[in-house]
Amino acid sequence: MSATMTPNVNTPGDFQAKDYKSDLKPIWCPGCGDYSVVQGIYRALAAIGRPPHEIAFISGIGCSSRIPGYTTAYGFNTVHGRALPIAQGIKLANPDLLVLAAGGDGDGFSIGGGHIAHLIRRNIDITYIVMDNQIYGLTKGQLSPTSQKGRTTCTSPHGSLENPVNPLLYVLAYGAGFVAQASPTDLVGMAAIIEEAIRYPGFAFVNIQSPCVTYGEEAQQIKGLKAISETLESLGHDPSDRLAAMNLAQNYGTKLNLGVFYRNPEPAPTYDGLVRERQAQLSQGAPSKERILDLFIKK
Amino acid sequence: MRKDLVFGMAGSGGDGIVSAGDSLLQAASAEGYHGVMTKSFGSQIRGGESSCRVRISTDPVLNPGGNLDVAVALNWEDFLKFGAELPVAGTTVVIYEAATGVPENQIPLVGVTPLQVIAVPIAEMAKTHAGTERAKNTVVLGLIAGWFGIGAVAVMKGISKKLAKKSQELVAANQKAFDAGMAFAKEHPLKADMTILPLEDKGGVKLLTDGNDMCAAAAIFAGCQFFGGYPITPSTEIMQFFTNHVWKYGGAVLQAEDEIAGIGAAVGASFAGKKAMTATSGPGLSLKSEMMGLASIAELPLVIVDVQRGGPSTGLPTKTEQSDLFAAAFSAHGDVIRPVLAPTSVADTFRTTIEAFNIAEYYQTPVIILSDQEIASRKETLDPIDTTQFKIIDRLRPTGADLQDYKRFKQTENHISPISHPGMLGGTYLASGIEHVESGAPTNSGSVHARMNDKRTKKFDPLKERRDLFEITGNPDAPLALVAWGSVAGVCREALQMAREQGLDVKLMVPYLLYPVAEQTYRDFFASVQKGLVVEQSHLAQTFKVLRMHLDLPKGLQSLARSGANPFLPGEIVAALHHLLAELQRSHEGKLQPQE
Repeated sequence: MSATMTPNVNTPGDFQAKDYKSDLKPIWCPGCGDYSVVQGIYRALAAIGRPPHEIAFISGIGCSSRIPGYTTAYGFNTVHGRALPIAQGIKLANPDLLVLAAGGDGDGFSIGGGHIAHLIRRNIDITYIVMDNQIYGLTKGQLSPTSQKGRTTCTSPHGSLENPVNPLLYVLAYGAGFVAQASPTDLVGMAAIIEEAIRYPGFAFVNIQSPCVTYGEEAQQIKGLKAISETLESLGHDPSDRLAAMNLAQNYGTKLNLGVFYRNPEPAPTYDGLVRERQAQLSQGAPSKERILDLFIKK
Repeated sequence: MRKDLVFGMAGSGGDGIVSAGDSLLQAASAEGYHGVMTKSFGSQIRGGESSCRVRISTDPVLNPGGNLDVAVALNWEDFLKFGAELPVAGTTVVIYEAATGVPENQIPLVGVTPLQVIAVPIAEMAKTHAGTERAKNTVVLGLIAGWFGIGAVAVMKGISKKLAKKSQELVAANQKAFDAGMAFAKEHPLKADMTILPLEDKGGVKLLTDGNDMCAAAAIFAGCQFFGGYPITPSTEIMQFFTNHVWKYGGAVLQAEDEIAGIGAAVGASFAGKKAMTATSGPGLSLKSEMMGLASIAELPLVIVDVQRGGPSTGLPTKTEQSDLFAAAFSAHGDVIRPVLAPTSVADTFRTTIEAFNIAEYYQTPVIILSDQEIASRKETLDPIDTTQFKIIDRLRPTGADLQDYKRFKQTENHISPISHPGMLGGTYLASGIEHVESGAPTNSGSVHARMNDKRTKKFDPLKERRDLFEITGNPDAPLALVAWGSVAGVCREALQMAREQGLDVKLMVPYLLYPVAEQTYRDFFASVQKGLVVEQSHLAQTFKVLRMHLDLPKGLQSLARSGANPFLPGEIVAALHHLLAELQRSHEGKLQPQE
């Protein structure tokens, strides 16, 4: 199967954004930020030019996790919080595939929060896109792990007592090789960031502030997001400086810094790459699997 | 001379009891005997108590045996902790450490007078001859060689091979300890001849392995290329075997961050088109249950090994039980059928594991292999297996015609749809845990849901018809019957032999397929049965209840069920059969009485 695959290079003109758009009609609320995100993904994939059948797009559960169904790639809408473990199994089974994972802030940082650290430390070559709207939308407006402290929701009627998770600091602290943030307020910039994340050889994380028009606060709608946006480029940020990235990541929740926070200038080897090396090394002169029981012969 | 000997040994962790058992079994196997060894520990790493039980026989062995023929106690406190696993009877020779200071006529075994009791200064002999008490286990092996005639040459050959890497002095010291044990035995002959019958024909090459290694080897043979798991006793060795070997065959292993990620990665690998597996024990199975439901609705092949231990929760982590049947068959929400298979021995773990992969692939479903601690960790000698006799089945892939207008969940006559995987041009689809139409597109239509439930459950109908997943022995028309699976099946096979030798007309059914329940196969089996026992190591009698849930059982069929880890003995099952027969005869006599 790998023989039929094209390498991960840009072949402009082979595919257009619409080639990645499926026939399914999204069930998101009108005006939802995720409409922009999926557009950004179509554009990024077209720029990369891998045919849809060589792409596996995995998600958990929630509004945003519907997204694989809206692409023409192989999709897997799995169970709540478990997109990453499943995505890594796919990548390890067939490292030739382009593997994307996506989900929301609840899916990624609450129920599935334990997995991110481990994909990062293994450095599996997967791009993980989180549509962060700071609320549980599909279950109708409960507190999320990224909701601001004091936020009033149906599960925090007197205001939340919890501090939010900072997704950017979280993944930077675990040592992710590529960390970026994008916003539907800038579709072109978002597509470019997703493209760069996919091209990064290793685990790449993109946090996208995606407004929830139904349960989101006013400050998190397009107008509010625009008001707090500033590009990292305009701040003169050097994306190879991890400590500077961590410093800027602390703006999460007050400023919307857009762009690449960190890109490891010397990407570390990936787990999937090392698996291939090990397979090549250990398969040299290995007995056929039909003779595997010979291991149990005692002489 | 004896055809069969059962040894039970216990001591403190670090006494080398298990390593002595290993050496004994390996030596016996090298000399052509059949054998099986089980181990039992307290749940600690160092210190505490450990024991092993080694059965050696001129004929193939079906289980670890009943009462001990030989008991070896390095100290009494530890030995007594294994009261049920190491039962001493009037036929047992008891050998114990003289330094315990217990007089031979006052050993602390209540209600039993062993055949012979011998105190041996084991530690002192080790110190004198090998210069260290650490050679106690070698002295014991010397005693066994001297008294029972096993391993006089082969034991030392094995020990030398192991110790030569460390130093030649160590080999020499152990040789002296071994010789001292042999010499002691010769100077103190047993009252009865208990030497093992010498073999004229060694019977060629034998394999020696345990259930976990056998399961992993079989999976690789069946084409498994991905293992995702998390360490848990007593299943971990399956992952260890994979990490050693699967790379050679283009496969990969992931020691995941938790049980959920372990099965998740395996689900992903299966979606990507590879045969995949995960292994766990009870608590891990609970964590994996949501993913098992996902694999069922997404119709993805997957093999899950559950090496049962005593439950619930952490329960008895190092000991055996058969109490995960409910969890294996039913632990998912929604209406779903999940095939469950159980091996009965190390040898047939090979076939059962291949069968699990074949069923998973053919039916596009998760399959559980319900192993248990005893099979998983017991070592068994076995004759070489002809691997060419096994057929390997792969999932139904779409052809060019299917890919013209590909529908992943297409309704077909046998309810099995061709399955594509990423990389296959024309086969793209959305897999999901959400209900879907034939194309994979999500739906919340009740009628589609009903149709898809029908597809996902009816596809298993042919599986229930397969008679080759059941072993039936004894007179097919017998009025008495036994039903048992897993490690208890081995005990019942031996009980069947004993019972038939005692003139009882009895038959035995061993199901390898536990779920879905093959109703007709049981109905046919039970047709002649007037009295019978479903024998299992489960406090709630889970097997008996699952059978009763699916079919009308004969009125005389009873449950013989108890908690693990204490093993059933063949003799007690035969006694229970005699009791049933007596009841049966009484009831017939009752019928002959004239009615008032």
